[in-house]
This record gives sequence, structure tokens and C-alpha cells, in this order.
Amino acid sequence: MSGLLRTMRLAWLEAWTNRRGFWTQVTVMLVNDVVWVGFWVIFFRQVGEIRGWDTDQVLVLLAVLTTGAGISLGFLHNVRRLGTMIGNGELDSALALPVPTLAHLLVRRVDPIHIGDMAFGIVLFFGFCNPTPQRVGVFLAGTVTAAAICTGFLVIMGALSFFVGRSEAGDLGFHALLLTSSYPVDIFAGATKVLLYTAVPAGFMTAAPTRLVDEFDPLLAAATVAVALLVVAIGVVVFNRGLRRYTSGAVWTSA
Amino acid sequence: MTATSAVQSGAVITRERGHLIRASVLTRRVMGTAARRVVGARSGLAVIGLFYLLVTAVLGSLWLTAANANGGSIAGYSTVAIVWYIATTESGTISVPMRLIEDIGLDISSGQVAAEMQRPVSVLWMRVLTEVGTCLPRLLLCLSVGTVFALAVVGAPPDATTLPLAAISIVLAVTLNLIAQHLFAGAAFWLSDAKSTWFLYQKLVFILGGMLLPIEVLPDGLEAVARFLPFVAMAYAPARLASGHFEPWLVALQLGWIVLAAAGATWLYRRGERRIMRVG
Repeated sequence: MSGLLRTMRLAWLEAWTNRRGFWTQVTVMLVNDVVWVGFWVIFFRQVGEIRGWDTDQVLVLLAVLTTGAGISLGFLHNVRRLGTMIGNGELDSALALPVPTLAHLLVRRVDPIHIGDMAFGIVLFFGFCNPTPQRVGVFLAGTVTAAAICTGFLVIMGALSFFVGRSEAGDLGFHALLLTSSYPVDIFAGATKVLLYTAVPAGFMTAAPTRLVDEFDPLLAAATVAVALLVVAIGVVVFNRGLRRYTSGAVWTSA
Repeated sequence: MTATSAVQSGAVITRERGHLIRASVLTRRVMGTAARRVVGARSGLAVIGLFYLLVTAVLGSLWLTAANANGGSIAGYSTVAIVWYIATTESGTISVPMRLIEDIGLDISSGQVAAEMQRPVSVLWMRVLTEVGTCLPRLLLCLSVGTVFALAVVGAPPDATTLPLAAISIVLAVTLNLIAQHLFAGAAFWLSDAKSTWFLYQKLVFILGGMLLPIEVLPDGLEAVARFLPFVAMAYAPARLASGHFEPWLVALQLGWIVLAAAGATWLYRRGERRIMRVG
């Protein structure tokens, strides 16, 4: 554990060393997120309400998404690169270390641009989403489950490279998850909606925590936590199973 | 006109015609090579097609639901028109590489552009032609998928007679987008870190260009601003045509912006290349 903590600290220092680059990327992401908020404000100004969703709820959804995804993609940046690293045979340096390989790979890199996402989400919630103590508690728990689902899902997508070789499945899975979780899930119907609560767990990543912030439901909360744990567990199992099939690419990198 | 000046004029005309012929041959070869390379990488094309379908399905569902909730139309677009609008904007934008500005910036700062300056052709226009050749097969794929999607979801377009003009318009939109990205990326000749600007450029196209929402939905002041900027020519123009609005002046607008952007990019890259030769 101390090895992992030390790796996390070094990854943070690496990102923090180039201050100008750090703050530039954080600022760019803040502007990006403000634009998305602007889109939704304009949309609901035109539409009013749509299937029970309005501006306030979408702001909570965006806060959960940006904070949760920011934690996952910001502090565990390699989660998005796993497929490429596996496909290119770049795991050798991590395999030689006396720490769990997956954990080491995930904490090895910090991405400032997604730290900006996380910061934005927190400011958005506390500034514009009526942060009562209960809502804050549910929001914080929701962002943890969102981060867990995002991380677990991307690990599964990346680990597929052990079995099918280098493919774009990881990237497509990433875009599918981020895209579908950034829209109110109730605009979809039928099989699509089922898909968003199962194969691509976007519904549990953002829509469920958003509903819980507005109106806490113990059953829904339990289901969300269970799904988060399940997705993480599947990710770990798939990665470790795949690691047995890993062949070295003779590429010694610092991951 | 004397015999000598007639011969000289004829020689100039012949020389200019020769330049034009060589330029058109080079253009076809560069674009053709780039297009063949993209078509050869089928898995990459499949990913683009799937991603396009996903984005169009999500955004199309959103606007379709919104239109149905508003009595069957929104901002003057019927349910049929809005789906064709979204299918068109997405095909024009997704067929263009998202992080091109970052890639160009990296090539400038790494010296790749300096190396390309050794060739006896314009660095800028070789790159633009290559990117256009790369994007055309993607555009064709996205338009095909988008047409099938729109037909399946809402049926025939509101006015099929506007589609030929929309097809021309979307090619112009992609071309303008590529030239404008090169223009944006030209800042890297002077700035050491311009790569994050692609995020901001993308958002300008998304909102002020009408990619995510028709510009008629924007607040009045913002809509007026958007109409004066080039981004509407990159996404809104072909989508407006494809959604059944016969407005040929949009194509003229696109041509005007292409000329301006091309002139601006040429000037900027000439200055940038001179800077590289002086500073390195």
C-alpha cells in the first residue's frame, strides 16, 4: 500500500511540476464544462421540461458526471490507456514491481485536464444545486459510485485487449459511457434504456445518483452501490485473467 | 500587339496553364492517396461509423423527444426536420478529426513542419489537401449511416430537392472546418503550448456553429453573433439545407468564408515559416 501511495504522490508531483501547463489545462476544461452548462440552460429555456427533467436536475447530473469522471480520469488517468498499453506490450515494467499490477498502472498517471472537471463539478453542485447537508452527503456518495463505475467499466473495456488484441473497443466504450451518461436517461426508451442500465451502466453512473440527490430511495441507493461494486469486481477479474495471457512487447516504459 | 509580345503572352499563358495542370494533378494524387489510406483501415472506419451512430442516436432522441413534447415542432423545426438536421451536423463534424489543432501544434513545435518546408510545395496546402482526402471517405460513411438512421426514425426528409445542395454544402463545410483548424493551429508558430485550444474551437463549432442545437434556439443576441461568425458555415449551413430549407445563399456564405480562411491561413503560415527559418 505504501508503494502505491508513493506512486500516486509521484504522479501528482509529475503533473504539478509544469504549473503553467497544469493551470492552462484546468482552465480549458472549466471553459468546456461551462459551455455544456450553457447548452443545457439554453435547451431547457426553449423546451421547459422533458420527461420529468429540468435545468436543476440536469445541473446535478452534470455535477455528478464531471466530479465522478474527473476523479476516475484525473487521478487514475491510465484507465483510459489500458487497452493501448496492453496491445503494445507496455506492462513489463509494472509486472516487475512488488505491487498489484492493475492498481499500480491506474495510479501511475494524473491528468490535470480532468482535475479541472472534478473541480468544476464540485463548484457547480455547491454553487447552483441547493447544497443542503443531506443533498451534499448523497452527492459525495454518488460521485464515489460514479467514479467506481467509470473506472470499472473502462478497465473491462481496456482488458479486452488481452483477449482480442489491440482494438478500438476501449475508446468506443469510453465515448459511449461518457456520452450516454451526460444526457437525461429518460429521453431514451425501451431496449436502449435497458442497455443503459446494464451493458453500458450510464444510468447507474449519473441518472441514479441524480435521482437520489433529489429524493433519496434506499432501494435505488443499494442497487447503485451494488452495481458499482460489481463493475469494479468484474474489471479486476477480467484484467487479472487477461494478465495470464499477456505477452511482453519488450517495451520498457514508465507506463 | 507586336509579334514578340504575342509570343511572350502565349508563353506566359502556356506556363500558367502548365502550373494549373500540375496543381490539379498533384491535388488529385494527394487527396486520392489520403482517401485510399483511410479506406484501407477498415476497423478505423467502422469505429467512426459506430461512434457517429451513437452520437446521432443520442442527440436525435433528445431533440425528437423535445419536439414531441412541444406539440411536434421546436424553433421552427418539425420532428422530421430536426432529426435530419442532427444527422447532417453530426456527419459533417465527426468526419473531421477532433484533435487536428493539437496534432498540427505538435508538428509545428516538434520540427515536423520545418522538415516539410524542404519540399517544393506549400506545407499548408499539402496538409489541407491530405486532410480533405482523409475526411471524404469518413463523410461518405457518416452520410450513408445518417441517411439510413433518419429514414428509419422519421422517414423521408421534409424536402428532398434540397438534398443535392446540402451534399455540396457539407463538403464545403468540412473543407472550411479543416482550413480553419489549420488557421487556429498556426498560433503554435508563436506559442509554445497551443494544443489545448482544440477544446475551445470544438465548443465554438458545437454552440455557435449549430452542431448541438439549431442556432434559432440560441438567445437573440447570441444568434445574431453566431450568424456573423464562420462556425455556422461548418455545421449549421448544410444541416439547414438538409432539413428542408432551400436557402442557397448559405452555400455562397460558405464559399466566402473558405476564401477568407484560406487567405488568412496562407498569410499566417508564410509568416510562421519565415519565423522558423529565422529562429529555428
